[in-house]
Amino acid sequence: MNESHEHYEEWQKQLVKCIRCGTCRSVCPVFEEENNENTTARGKVKLIESVVEGKLELTAILQERISKCLMCKACVAGCPSGVKTDELFLSVRQAVVSKNGLSMVKKLAFTGLTYRKLFDIGLRIGAKFQNLVLKEAPDGRGRIPRVLLPGAGLNKRRITPPLAKHSLRSQLPEVSHVDKPRARVAFFTGCMLNYIYPKAGQAIVNILQRNNIEVVIPENQCCCGTPAFTSGDQDTGRYLAEQNIKALSEKFDAIITGCASCGSALQHEYGQILTDPWMKDEWQKISSKVYDITTYLVKFCDLTGLGTVDMTVTYHDACHLVRGMGVSKEPRQIFAAIPGLEFREMQEPDKCCGGAGSFSMSYYELARKINDHKLDHAEATGADCMVTGCSACRMFITDGLGQRSSKLKIMHTAELIELSYKAGEKEEK
Amino acid sequence: MLNPTFVKQLTGLVGPQYIMNELEDRICYSFDATFIDFLPDIVVRPGSQEELIKIVKLAYEYKVPVVSRGAATGLSGGAVPVKGGIVLELTRLKRIIDIDIVNQRAILEPGVITQDFLNAVNQAGLFYPPDPASSKLSTIGGNIAECAGGPKGVKYGVTRDYLLGLEVILPDGSVMNTGNIIDGEMCGPDWTMLFCGSEGTLGVISKIIVKLVHKPQHKQTLLATFDQIEDAAITVSVMMASGVIPTTLEIMDNLTIRAVENYLCIGLPIEAGAILLIEVDGDPAAVSAHVLHVQKICTECGASGVKTAQTQQESDVLWKARRSISPACGKISPTKISEDATVPRNQIPAMVKRIRQIAEKYQLKVVIFGHAGDGNLHPNILSNKHDKAEMERVEHAVKELFHAALELGGTLSGEHGIGYMKAPFLIWETGEIGFTVGQNLKEALDPEHIMNPGKMFDYKK
Repeated sequence: MNESHEHYEEWQKQLVKCIRCGTCRSVCPVFEEENNENTTARGKVKLIESVVEGKLELTAILQERISKCLMCKACVAGCPSGVKTDELFLSVRQAVVSKNGLSMVKKLAFTGLTYRKLFDIGLRIGAKFQNLVLKEAPDGRGRIPRVLLPGAGLNKRRITPPLAKHSLRSQLPEVSHVDKPRARVAFFTGCMLNYIYPKAGQAIVNILQRNNIEVVIPENQCCCGTPAFTSGDQDTGRYLAEQNIKALSEKFDAIITGCASCGSALQHEYGQILTDPWMKDEWQKISSKVYDITTYLVKFCDLTGLGTVDMTVTYHDACHLVRGMGVSKEPRQIFAAIPGLEFREMQEPDKCCGGAGSFSMSYYELARKINDHKLDHAEATGADCMVTGCSACRMFITDGLGQRSSKLKIMHTAELIELSYKAGEKEEK
Repeated sequence: MLNPTFVKQLTGLVGPQYIMNELEDRICYSFDATFIDFLPDIVVRPGSQEELIKIVKLAYEYKVPVVSRGAATGLSGGAVPVKGGIVLELTRLKRIIDIDIVNQRAILEPGVITQDFLNAVNQAGLFYPPDPASSKLSTIGGNIAECAGGPKGVKYGVTRDYLLGLEVILPDGSVMNTGNIIDGEMCGPDWTMLFCGSEGTLGVISKIIVKLVHKPQHKQTLLATFDQIEDAAITVSVMMASGVIPTTLEIMDNLTIRAVENYLCIGLPIEAGAILLIEVDGDPAAVSAHVLHVQKICTECGASGVKTAQTQQESDVLWKARRSISPACGKISPTKISEDATVPRNQIPAMVKRIRQIAEKYQLKVVIFGHAGDGNLHPNILSNKHDKAEMERVEHAVKELFHAALELGGTLSGEHGIGYMKAPFLIWETGEIGFTVGQNLKEALDPEHIMNPGKMFDYKK
């Protein structure tokens, strides 16, 4: 108990703001499925208040309740009293983990993240041998486990994308030069663009180069830390944050991300987990320079040279893009600028897809239901392709599309932009 | 502690997945939108009327309190289990059984979310006017149990005015039908109205019949600005007496205006003593005539400006201002104590004065806004629940607010109900005899005191 006391004051600042009005009931995707007050923000706030008041311990059940949250920030955006439930729950997760510990699998995985080179080698070997445990899913969208993998968090029917044969960073030089660059930016690739969707990562580099921007991929960057600190492993999260801040502290005009969670972590969450004042200072210097690729494109480049893309698309707002980084207009502005492209808005485009990192591993069936609503909305638009700026969403949506043998395709926003640029190039010739 | 046999039988009735008795879950069902909380012994979530009846019968047999709960958005502690027992969670009973377009009637279950019902009715081309601020989350059952109101009450009335009949599970598990689908009138006293606003203290509402009306064809929103809140208050009485009844007539005082403007930055007049937000509806010709009439009265009563929203967007911005009062106040102080003491319209100026005096006396930040057309002011005390000294002053101030409302010929509650929070003051309103009649009624229907005990007439110090 004593260890968590240090947090009480910080928790109180949020707890006192909750007026229990229950607005969170109308916005929480988990509540929509479970219809249980123990999943709402106000329910959890009350649990934490009970801990602070000494009426409840940091029990295993409480830990489970606090884990059963997508961290989609819908309750934060919807709260009339401005309770920062995302920060509160993150802090509680940390306190619970320091008291009760992490699961063995997570402990191993997060420790792995801190050894950048070893982690890289591990995943490269993994790419070669993944077929031993995973087999091709029937519709070719990805892989499914051959056998139940206890502890790996993979449901037997879940389709996961294979690790790329060659990671993004192994294919690209640290600096992609252009003639007389008008800006010099760092590209923070994140793990998923690096190991799973390198084509989308490559598209980001190409887009920037087409706009005459020099792209640097700092070699020492590592995992952004989101999986660790959202699971309550603040120490690992902090260590990774510090490594990344050091890797990005060289003078760049901007830091570009193509992953919602990485971007949101670099922009905001690091501020919450860093403790060292010097590090915090360093972070503040870079945080204002972090841009999602779409924001950077709209803000600093002109949207010329885009060619015809004869396609109908719909767009999924990733939680950490729309509510984390405040990105929602920019991708739509770009869609409007692409000739021939028909954009159809789906219902509730900014509602969580249920993926939410390890949430969909711990609560696969629940996450699947949340995801199915998203797919229903997307399919109802009649679009050919769903576009999103988050690889984690993409991964879980891909699973859902495979489960229902949907005709809908999915791609990263950057891939669509790259497609349009290529078409534009052809048109010029 | 509950009898283990009782728990076993209860679990058998609904299945273990619809029973919760872990401390962590009981805590989540221990509160509503007020600041009180009491732990239930168990939470039960029936999925059908049959299960509901069996649960009530079993509770009656074991004399365990039964507290009905919808979305727990109430503001008087109605769904808080102050004597423990069962929290009977009714949100699984959420069928809209029928919307009869020709006869303009609907039959539905108590757990239907108000907004879902409003949408379904709208889709059928009709209109159900009661729209409490919590309609996105509140349930119809809760609206009836508390007799919820809303901004449209001025013209359209409150929940009670649309209720035709109920199916109620009485404390012993027997089922009573009140009213009817034709005109709501049974021979003899109006039993339906006995249960409307009874806050689950007499039985559990299991089915509801309401009437629906035609949708208004056209709407128009106006914003009138006043230097003095007194002038705004007089405008309300003059307008209501003049025969033109707006759909909505909302007042916001200077502190409220400043809070909202600070929050939204939409160009509200921050120097104004008060503003009135007025909506009129009807067929287009009538709306135009009413707009002119409203403008004239506001000006005659001393409005320094009257603006009519020219576009839907302009009108949306004005209503957003109204809906944003709560979050705007949240930015000022963490704890918001929302009262709904209501006075006759012509007493609004006097009530405003009294609220100001009370705020000054107890050195509290009080914003005044609300449904002025109904005389239903919402003085909201902005405070901090962890500041014990301040909360003590709040308690005194609330008591004086109730006193003031009653002295001016008003009532303790316009729409939030009595529940637990206002139960100590109920006798001020009913008088000794009225209170005794209330107690006798409760005794006659619920002799074992198991239906939402400790509330309303069952409150004991």
